Amino acid sequence: MGMDRNRGGLFRRLPLRTVEFHILLSLAAGERHGYGIIQDIQARGEATVPDVGTMYRALARMADTGLIAAAARRPAPDANDERRNYYRITDEGRRVARAEVRRLEALMRAARVGGLAGKAAK
Amino acid sequence: MSPSRLVNVSEGWFRLLLRLYPADFRDDMGEAFVETYRDRARDALARGGVIALARVWVRAVIDSVRNGPGERARPAIAWRRTGNWGRDVEMATRRLRRAPALVLAIVGTLTIGLGTFAVVYTVVQRILFDSMPYKRPGDLYFVWRDYGPMIDMKRGWLGGTDVAELQKAGGPIEDASGVGRLLATLSVREAVEPAEISVLIVSPNFFDVLGVTPARGRGFARHEVGPGRPDLVVLTHDLWTRLGADPAILGTSVQLNGQQQTVIGVMPPDFGFVRHASVGRPQRADAYVTFNVDLAKTNPDAGSYGCLIRGRQGSRSEAVAAAVDTVGRLIDARDFKGRGLRLYPTGLKADLVAPVRPALVVLGVAGIFLMLVLMVNVASVLLARAAQREHEYAISRALGANGVALVRATLFEGALLGALGGIGSSLLAIWGTRLLVALAPLDLPRREAVAVDWRIVATIVVLGTVAGVLASIAPALWASRATLASLLSASAVRGGGGHRRMRGAMVVVQVALSLVLLSAGGLVVRSFGRLLRADPGFRPEGVVSMRVPLPPQFYREAPAAMAAQDRVERALAAIPGVAAVSATSALPLTGLTGQQTVRIPGAPGNTGDINHDGVLADIIGTRAGYVEVMNMRVVAGRSFDPVRREGLREVLLDRALAQHFFPNANPIGATFPLRDNTVTIVGVVDQARMYDVHRDGRPQIYIRGEDFTFRTMIFVIRTTRDPQSLMPDARAAIRTIDPRIALAEVRTMEEVVVNALRQQRISAVLIAGFALGALLLASLGLYGVVSGSVTRRRHELGVRLALGADHHRALRLVLVDGARLVGAGLLIGVPATLITGGLIRGVLVGVSPWDPVTLVSVAGGLAVVALIACYVPARRVLRIDPAQSLRQP
Repeated sequence: MGMDRNRGGLFRRLPLRTVEFHILLSLAAGERHGYGIIQDIQARGEATVPDVGTMYRALARMADTGLIAAAARRPAPDANDERRNYYRITDEGRRVARAEVRRLEALMRAARVGGLAGKAAK
Repeated sequence: MSPSRLVNVSEGWFRLLLRLYPADFRDDMGEAFVETYRDRARDALARGGVIALARVWVRAVIDSVRNGPGERARPAIAWRRTGNWGRDVEMATRRLRRAPALVLAIVGTLTIGLGTFAVVYTVVQRILFDSMPYKRPGDLYFVWRDYGPMIDMKRGWLGGTDVAELQKAGGPIEDASGVGRLLATLSVREAVEPAEISVLIVSPNFFDVLGVTPARGRGFARHEVGPGRPDLVVLTHDLWTRLGADPAILGTSVQLNGQQQTVIGVMPPDFGFVRHASVGRPQRADAYVTFNVDLAKTNPDAGSYGCLIRGRQGSRSEAVAAAVDTVGRLIDARDFKGRGLRLYPTGLKADLVAPVRPALVVLGVAGIFLMLVLMVNVASVLLARAAQREHEYAISRALGANGVALVRATLFEGALLGALGGIGSSLLAIWGTRLLVALAPLDLPRREAVAVDWRIVATIVVLGTVAGVLASIAPALWASRATLASLLSASAVRGGGGHRRMRGAMVVVQVALSLVLLSAGGLVVRSFGRLLRADPGFRPEGVVSMRVPLPPQFYREAPAAMAAQDRVERALAAIPGVAAVSATSALPLTGLTGQQTVRIPGAPGNTGDINHDGVLADIIGTRAGYVEVMNMRVVAGRSFDPVRREGLREVLLDRALAQHFFPNANPIGATFPLRDNTVTIVGVVDQARMYDVHRDGRPQIYIRGEDFTFRTMIFVIRTTRDPQSLMPDARAAIRTIDPRIALAEVRTMEEVVVNALRQQRISAVLIAGFALGALLLASLGLYGVVSGSVTRRRHELGVRLALGADHHRALRLVLVDGARLVGAGLLIGVPATLITGGLIRGVLVGVSPWDPVTLVSVAGGLAVVALIACYVPARRVLRIDPAQSLRQP
């Protein structure tokens, strides 16, 4: 039953909200704590970085729906080794993120055909 | 301030903002949230100093004000986003299947309670709210005469001349039809025993006024009325079915009172019409014929026509009333010398249901109260179940199930149980409604329409589901709050979660509601008891009655009919076991009698006021011996002489009439004119009540049937035999006299009395049933609470017992718990009872709605039953072994 639910859920979960996609992008590269994710987003050059509350609400919801999971609480090297809550991406989260990427790629292709975007640099 | 101190102050600020988020979010994410903000604050301070830090503070406020309340609103969204109803259904059914006793108890309670409610709902809905099966039924009215100061008759039938004027009136009155009635002997073939049927005599436009058409054949044409009209009859579906449902019946003849009538139409099965009666009960019809007189040429003084009018589409009822009033003024001036006659319309349905309306309203309200008690009961059972599953809830919560999911599951369980109960009760209602209709008085308005249909079934199932959901709200909320922490604290000495207080409150509500229902039930039953004990002015025991119609078509000359009556009387008297036989034109408690204005010139009670000196009285024709057969009381003088003397026309007055005309004087021997004859008063009697069992009706005058040629008499037979066994003999005796006679309404006088009280009996039985049901439910609730309290306090009581308290002291401790709930319920219930008392005033006879005897005994009875419901489970205290309960806390 669980499998069925997840497979159906894959498409029901798309499109992802920007903040959700950002979180999955960060966690795909490895476990992060909250401020780490925010720093990643800033580094990606996003114009508006999500607020802390917005991000934690997204984290709570994504943990509920199984896209991410809480990892062990441990010292953070970038914060004077104070202990932090870490998060990791789940297999399901990875699948959803890939599906979102495919969706965005399809949109990009369509945008290029429509002349809204430049040719991909190859 | 040092940077680290600034960061610490900032952390306090972020923690404060965190309060804007809901508790579960704070539990899960709060620490990380604060840490992240602190990281951010530290970064900002390092990069941009205090200014940048301030910006982070402001940013955090905006963030939290937006997201905190947003997160609080999230359960509603989460419900939609993460709902998995299929899984919920599966889980709920699986859980319920594991607890068959509980399901049976709840569904059973709901089925019985909701089923009773459904029956009442059906009756109330069909009679009070459903529209009648006519075209624009809201535009139909009956018109009545109000004789004003002339005689005491506010709701009199019209003269034929009034109907003719209304037909001509126009304006807001679109059309009008007169409605008369005739009981006729119907015979189809020689071989078939004749039967008496009720025939409505109408204007030819009658069916057009109602906006209905026959299912077969046609209605009457406009010209088919008046002297010399063709003899045509339209049958109801019911009569047509009784005659064999022959489609070829159109064009054939049936005999009404020996006269050939051609069948031209058959009405559809759903058509029903009753002629509203001026006094007494509405009259059904089996067939329709048209008037064989010209209404405009009838005697204006004789009010004997019902009148149905249709208001023009869009006309307000005030406009119709004004138009009718205008016609009334014209008639008053023309036919009544301006003495104050009025005509007024009443809405067809309002008029029809008016007599049963108070009883139905009371029943409806009682039904709603029962529903409330039922819901509280189901809620309390569900809550108890939730309490048992406290562990399960707390562990699910601890394992990560969110509150919303638990609430949803509990609500769903309630809905499922409610829906099951709704389905069960619909079945019960279908059966119950049939039973009720079978028991209901024959003249219950719109009786034929009272049946359960799919709309009512749907309503009941939805109602059951909603009741189930509402009942599970309290347990659901409670379940959602169960946490591991609360579970741990529950095993501590104090014991118990909030659900016990909630269940206690529910018991208080149940006791209060039950008190209201019980006192209403008590009052109605007491009122019915008064009616049963009331003296109707005659003794019904051992008396059989039967109507023997002798229509002029069979006995053309009056003396022949009178001779036939003599023969009938002799034949009946010859039956073994018959003590005495007599006859009357109007049986008591049937209301079917004619009235006439009586004046006694020269009587001492006259004042000279024309209105005071004329009294409208019921004129009842009887044969000699009627007073004796019926066991009426003779107050003065004597009853009719067995031997009728030529030249002396004897009459009896009832006490009220004698008092009116002869205050403090002897009326015996006085004479007065009546129907073109001079009659002599020979006696004064107490009324054999014509309308209500418990009070005198209109004044009565008894005249000798032979003196005034009453053709159709109701014979009454006093017998020492079982009345039922007498009936076949009586039928046989009549048949030997004339096989054409259609003996009708053969029944015992006791049946007549029972029939007159049927509506009250049903109300009393239903309300008493509701009240007892509520009492039972409240007792069950109380039992559960006290039983739970004993279980919970086992340890505590064990300690008390070990320390030297005796068992009775411990028992008292538990009982006081229950008694406190009962007392609170009674305290709330008493004012509610006083308020609802006014509501049921309309259905009570001889009992005040605040009758202290009833109210005190009901409250006392409820308290006793409730305390028994406490005592039975509390007795378990006596079995507590202190040593054992201390070993196993």
